[in-house]
Amino acid sequence: MMSWLMAGLLFTPLAWAVVSLLVGFRTGRWLSWVGMVLQVGASVALWFAVARESGFYYALGGWQAPLGIELQVDGLALTFVLLTAAVASACGLHAGVYLDPDKPWQRYFWPLFWFLWAGLNAVWLGADLFNLYVGLELITLSAVGLVALGGDAGALRASLRYLLAALVGSMAYLLGVALMYGQFGTLSLAGMSHLAQEYPGLEGAGLAMALMMTGLALKTALFPLHGWLPPAHGIARSPVSALLSALVVKASFFIAARLWLELGPNLGTLALAQLAGVLGALAVLWGSWLACLQPQLKQVVAYSSVAQIGYLFLLFPLTWGVTEAVSQQAQQGMTLQVISHALAKAAMFLAAGNLILSTGSNRVSDLAGVSRFLPFSLFSFGLAGVSLMSLPPTGGFAAKWLLLQASLNSGQWWWTLVLLAGGLLSAAYVFRIYRASFVEHSELDQFYHPPRRLEAIPMMLALMSLGLGLVAEPLLSVMALPFGEGG
Amino acid sequence: MRLAAVLVLCAVFAMALVGTVWQIAGQPVGGTLPETVADAMADSGVDHPVTAVLLNFRSYDTLLEIGVLVIAAIAGISMARLPSLEDPELRTHDSLLHALQRWFLPLMWLVAGYLLWAGAVQPGGAFQAGAVLAGTGVLMRLGGMPMNFLQPRLLLRVGLALGFAVFLLVAVVSAAGGDAFLAYPEGMAKPLILLIEIFLTLSIAMVLLSLFVAAPVNDAREPAEGESE
Repeated sequence: MMSWLMAGLLFTPLAWAVVSLLVGFRTGRWLSWVGMVLQVGASVALWFAVARESGFYYALGGWQAPLGIELQVDGLALTFVLLTAAVASACGLHAGVYLDPDKPWQRYFWPLFWFLWAGLNAVWLGADLFNLYVGLELITLSAVGLVALGGDAGALRASLRYLLAALVGSMAYLLGVALMYGQFGTLSLAGMSHLAQEYPGLEGAGLAMALMMTGLALKTALFPLHGWLPPAHGIARSPVSALLSALVVKASFFIAARLWLELGPNLGTLALAQLAGVLGALAVLWGSWLACLQPQLKQVVAYSSVAQIGYLFLLFPLTWGVTEAVSQQAQQGMTLQVISHALAKAAMFLAAGNLILSTGSNRVSDLAGVSRFLPFSLFSFGLAGVSLMSLPPTGGFAAKWLLLQASLNSGQWWWTLVLLAGGLLSAAYVFRIYRASFVEHSELDQFYHPPRRLEAIPMMLALMSLGLGLVAEPLLSVMALPFGEGG
Repeated sequence: MRLAAVLVLCAVFAMALVGTVWQIAGQPVGGTLPETVADAMADSGVDHPVTAVLLNFRSYDTLLEIGVLVIAAIAGISMARLPSLEDPELRTHDSLLHALQRWFLPLMWLVAGYLLWAGAVQPGGAFQAGAVLAGTGVLMRLGGMPMNFLQPRLLLRVGLALGFAVFLLVAVVSAAGGDAFLAYPEGMAKPLILLIEIFLTLSIAMVLLSLFVAAPVNDAREPAEGESE
C-alpha cells in the first residue's frame, strides 16, 4: 500500500510527462486534470498513512543506503509535498485556460510542467546528496524551458541568463557533493550526519558545506546573487511565474535547510550562519526597495520574491548554537513562511496575469481604472499582499511572529528590526499598485474580461494564505509527525 | 582591472579547493562503499561496477537523468519552429562524400552497438553508444544525407521519450510483481538492463541529435504579456 502511494507520488508525474509529450495541448489539458487529481489524492493519502503509523525511509530498487538511494518520508517532506500538490494544481488549472491552445509550442507546456512537478517531489523526499542534485537539475531545466516557451528574444535572453546562473549554482553544489563523498564515503545525508557527529572537527567537510551552500544560495536568488530572478520571473507567462516563485526557488532553499539542520551543528560555523542571516536581511530591504521602484507590474511581484526569500535565510542564524526550543520555533517560522509565501505569491502572479490580460499592458501606470472593471482580481492581489505585509491573521503574520520570538529568545534582537522594516516596505509596494489602479480617468475604454475561472483560482489561493494563520497549529503538526527508522 | 580581479578570485578559489582536498585526504572517515559495491556485484546482473551502479544500485538517479535529457530536448525543439529538423540547403549530391559516408556509417553503427554490449563487462553502455550514434547523425546531416524523418512530429517525440518510457515501464512492472520499485525480479536483471540500455541508446542519440539540429530560426513569436500582437 505504502509502496504504491510512493510510486503514485514519484512516478505518475514522470508518466504524465511522457504521455503529454505525445499528445497536443488540449488533450494534454484534460489528461493533466486527471493527473492532478491523482497527485493530490496520493499526497493526502500518504499524509494519512504517515499520521497513522510514522515517517519512514523508502529504499528504491530494494537497495538500502549507502549502496542504493533512500527517500526520507518525514513530516517536513510531507508538508512540502502537500503544498506542491495544492499550488501546482492551481497553477496548472489556471494555465490550461490562460495559455493559447492554438500556438504550436504550447504543446510542450504539459510535459515540462509534469517534469517540474516530478523534480519537486524528488527534492522534497530526497535524502541522498547526489539524488537531490539530479532533482534540482530536473527542476532547473524544466523551469528554464517553461520560461523560454514561445518567448521572443527578451524571453530567450532572460531564460539563458537563468540557465547560466542555475548551472553555476549546480556546479558549485556538485563540487561540494564530490568533496563530501570524498570525506565521508557515503552520499546518504543521514549517514553523513552520523559520521560528522562521531568525528568532530572535520574542516575540509566544513568548506565543502560552505561551497554547497553558496551554490544553493545562487539558485535560491539570495542577495547579492539575485540578478537572474526578476527578468526570468517577470517575463515568463503568469502561471509559469507563479510556479517559479512559489515552488521552484523553494527547492534549492529546502536542500540548503535540510543540509544545515542535519550537518550544521557539526560542520557549520557562527560566521556562516550570521553571514546567511545578514544577506537574507539585506535581501529583504533591497528587494522591497527595488519592488517599490519597478515600472512593470510583474517586476514588482518578482522583486517582492527576492525580499520574501530573504526572510527564509534567517533560519540559519536562528538555528545555530541555540536551544532546542528556539530552533523549533525558527524551523516552524521558516515552514510557515515558505507556505504562506508560496500561496500568496502564486495568487499574486496569477492575479497580475489577469490584470495584464485585462488592460493589455504590463505597466503599473496603465492599471488606471482597473479597479472598476476587474475588482475581483485586484482584490485577490490585495489579499495576497496582506499576507506579504504580514498582518494578522495571515500566514505571513504567524511566520514572522515565530521568527520574531525565536530571535528574541536567542538574544539576536537585531533580526526583529529586519522583520519590522520588511513588513512596512512590502506595504509600500502593495499600496503603490492600489494607488495606480484607483485612478479614475483612464485613457482605455475597453477592458477585456477574463473568464471567471481565471479569477477564481487566485482568489482561492489568496484566501488560503489569508486564513493560514488561523490553522497554523494543525498545519505545523504535519511537520512534527513522528519519524521511525525503516518502514 | 576586471580581468585581474577575476584572476585573483579564481586563484583564491583554486587555493581554497586544494586546501579542502588536502584536509579531506588527511582525515578520511567512513568510506567502505567500494567494498559494499563489490559484495553486491553478484546480485547486480552485470559484471562492470559502473554499469551496476548506474542501472541497478542507483537506477533511480539514472532514470531521472534521462528525464533531464528529455527535458533538454523538449526545450530545444520547442524553440525550433522548422517543418523539419533537416536543413534542405545542406543536402548535396557530392558523390564522393556519399561514397565515403557509405563506408563510415555502418562502421560507426557497429562501434555504437559494440559499446552498448561492452557496457556489461567494461566501460561503455548506453550513454557512450548513444553519443556515437548521435555523432553518426551529425555526420549524416553535415554530409547532406536526407533525414526527413527528423520532423518535430509524433515520431520524433516518440523517439525522444522511448528510452525513458521503457525504463519507467520496467520500474512499474517489476513493482507490480511485488518487489520494490526499480527492483529487478530475480534472474531477470541482465535481460532487463540490456532492454533498457538498447532503448536508452536510441533515445539518447535522438536527444543529442535533435539538440544539435534544433536552433531557433523562426521569428514568429508570441509577444510578451501586455504587448500588442
